[in-house]
Amino acid sequence: MSSSIEVNEMVEEAGVHDRPERKKKLGLLFWICVGWITLNFLAAILANVLPLQSPIFQDYSAVNVGPSLHHLLGTDDLGRDIFSRVVYGSRVSIEVSLGAMLIGFGAGAPLGMLAAYRRGKFDAILSSVMYVFLAFPAIIATIAVLSFWTPRSLFKIIVVIGIASIPLVYRVIRSAAMTVATKDYVVAAKVQGATDRRILMKELLPNVAPIGVSFLLVGIATVVTLEGALAFLGLSVNAPTPSWGNMINESLSRLQLNPWLAVFPSLAMCLFLLCLNFIGDRLRAHFDVSEGKL
Amino acid sequence: MSIEQKLLVVKDLATTFHTPSGPLPAVGGVSFDLNQNETLGIVGESGSGKTVLSRTVMGLQPRANVDVSGSVLLNGFEVVGASEKEKRSIWGLEVAMIFQDPMTSLNPVMRIGKQIDEILRVRLGMDRQAAKARAIELLDLVGISSPEQRYSVFPGELSGGMRQRVVIATALAGSPKLLMADEPTTGLDVTIQAQILNLLEELKERLQMSVVLVTHDLGVVATRTSRIIVMYAGRIVEMGSTRDVFANHRMPYTRALLEGSPKVSNPSHTRLLAIPGRPPNLLNLPKGCSFAPRCSFATDRCREERPELEAASAPGHAFACWNPLPVKDRVPA
Repeated sequence: MSSSIEVNEMVEEAGVHDRPERKKKLGLLFWICVGWITLNFLAAILANVLPLQSPIFQDYSAVNVGPSLHHLLGTDDLGRDIFSRVVYGSRVSIEVSLGAMLIGFGAGAPLGMLAAYRRGKFDAILSSVMYVFLAFPAIIATIAVLSFWTPRSLFKIIVVIGIASIPLVYRVIRSAAMTVATKDYVVAAKVQGATDRRILMKELLPNVAPIGVSFLLVGIATVVTLEGALAFLGLSVNAPTPSWGNMINESLSRLQLNPWLAVFPSLAMCLFLLCLNFIGDRLRAHFDVSEGKL
Repeated sequence: MSIEQKLLVVKDLATTFHTPSGPLPAVGGVSFDLNQNETLGIVGESGSGKTVLSRTVMGLQPRANVDVSGSVLLNGFEVVGASEKEKRSIWGLEVAMIFQDPMTSLNPVMRIGKQIDEILRVRLGMDRQAAKARAIELLDLVGISSPEQRYSVFPGELSGGMRQRVVIATALAGSPKLLMADEPTTGLDVTIQAQILNLLEELKERLQMSVVLVTHDLGVVATRTSRIIVMYAGRIVEMGSTRDVFANHRMPYTRALLEGSPKVSNPSHTRLLAIPGRPPNLLNLPKGCSFAPRCSFATDRCREERPELEAASAPGHAFACWNPLPVKDRVPA
């Protein structure tokens, strides 16, 4: 203990700032949200192994019942267990959002960083192309493509949404990388003889990453909503595979008979989005280190 | 002295930016040279082209919209017209640069030791351990106490002066022969400024390198340089040994600069003499001497014809002025 005090004194003497602000807490709510998202992911991954009823098994002895011990969240009008369907439904949302973001970031992030670093013609041409795509409403484009690209599959939905998200990711990453690329430490690395590749990987990437991560979380949330909207329009996975969106869609016609049908998938989606957005927001605030502290 | 012994020979260097409103000659007709183990000061107001000059000498330009002509011979390497890849071979190893603002010249998310040993590992091919040992040595060299512990701190944990020391350590890592210091103390407070400048001077002697000190602060160059270049509107208006420039300056602009800096010998509350007017718009330079509109000695000739550098009596001393101040051996400022 005494040695650490010594070190502290030495450190202060030599002009090192103590840094209480860097250690600021993320807060309990943040960790609750992280816990909820983790739970969602685990449930989606382990749905097959969990002691759940089959999401497509139709139990005609218990149709449209409310929440009970036997069916935690009740059943729908075909006697299918809603709890199980909500859990399995999260799979579609999570698969689509992760897959689409993988495509979006896989293409958009490197292109954005490259454009911000190289500027010039490369940036001008690429950015114009991206802005042309951005000018086109993504949701209408996805609906149009998915209506004609049949038979529908999870893979196709992922590809379409993924491609639609590339310009968005590109734009965010490019502007973030642009502020980094003009910093002196990038020039400094250059006059140290660092290659472009090294500068991109070691100087740009780590400094753009915090913004990238918070945008990723917002992006996942957006794709979950988008998939929900598509499912609601009947353009997502085919029945009887459950997804939050198509469950809400199916519930509409039976809303007066059994309101639980709409409540639970909506609640699941709502909580999922709320948590993701909250996490993204807190992370951004946490990593948004002002110039003075850098 | 023959060309071979000069570390840096700059001839007729011109840097022109192409802007939407026309060509902007940020640097024009600049020629000078630098010996081994010499410190050269480049002074001038903001916007006089000194930063562009130092970056052009390094071969650092934006990728587009800029024209560079003339020649920069750095230890036998022609910088002007060299490709990025060719220049990479001298960057860090022959010439290094330290920047104005130590707050932004270190990567905030990389430990400072890593930023120093990066060049050691990548450029000099040292293994991890040798590089770490050398990086700690360098931190020690630039006067950072307990360098082993500091090796793994982030830049955000250090104060401005400490960071500038780290920046200097990274610049020295490749043992460059020439160190370009672009306003190295502007972002620091006065006591730290002196420390950093003394450190640079000491390192220059110890490592036998040459230093180009770019600054707007004459106090910085007065005691630490052997020669001074005074720039105005992208051109050299006076150059010579530090003593000549301070004591026997012939160009009114140099005098105005000197009178604009505070002196200890002045009685307190002495007003500093500001140079009237503003630096000229580089997009629309006056036809004659670019200082003429602000110069109290200006004649019609000054407004019509641009004076070229002409040699003064002292060797190496030159000035560009039609109506130079009379020669008189003043007490150095």
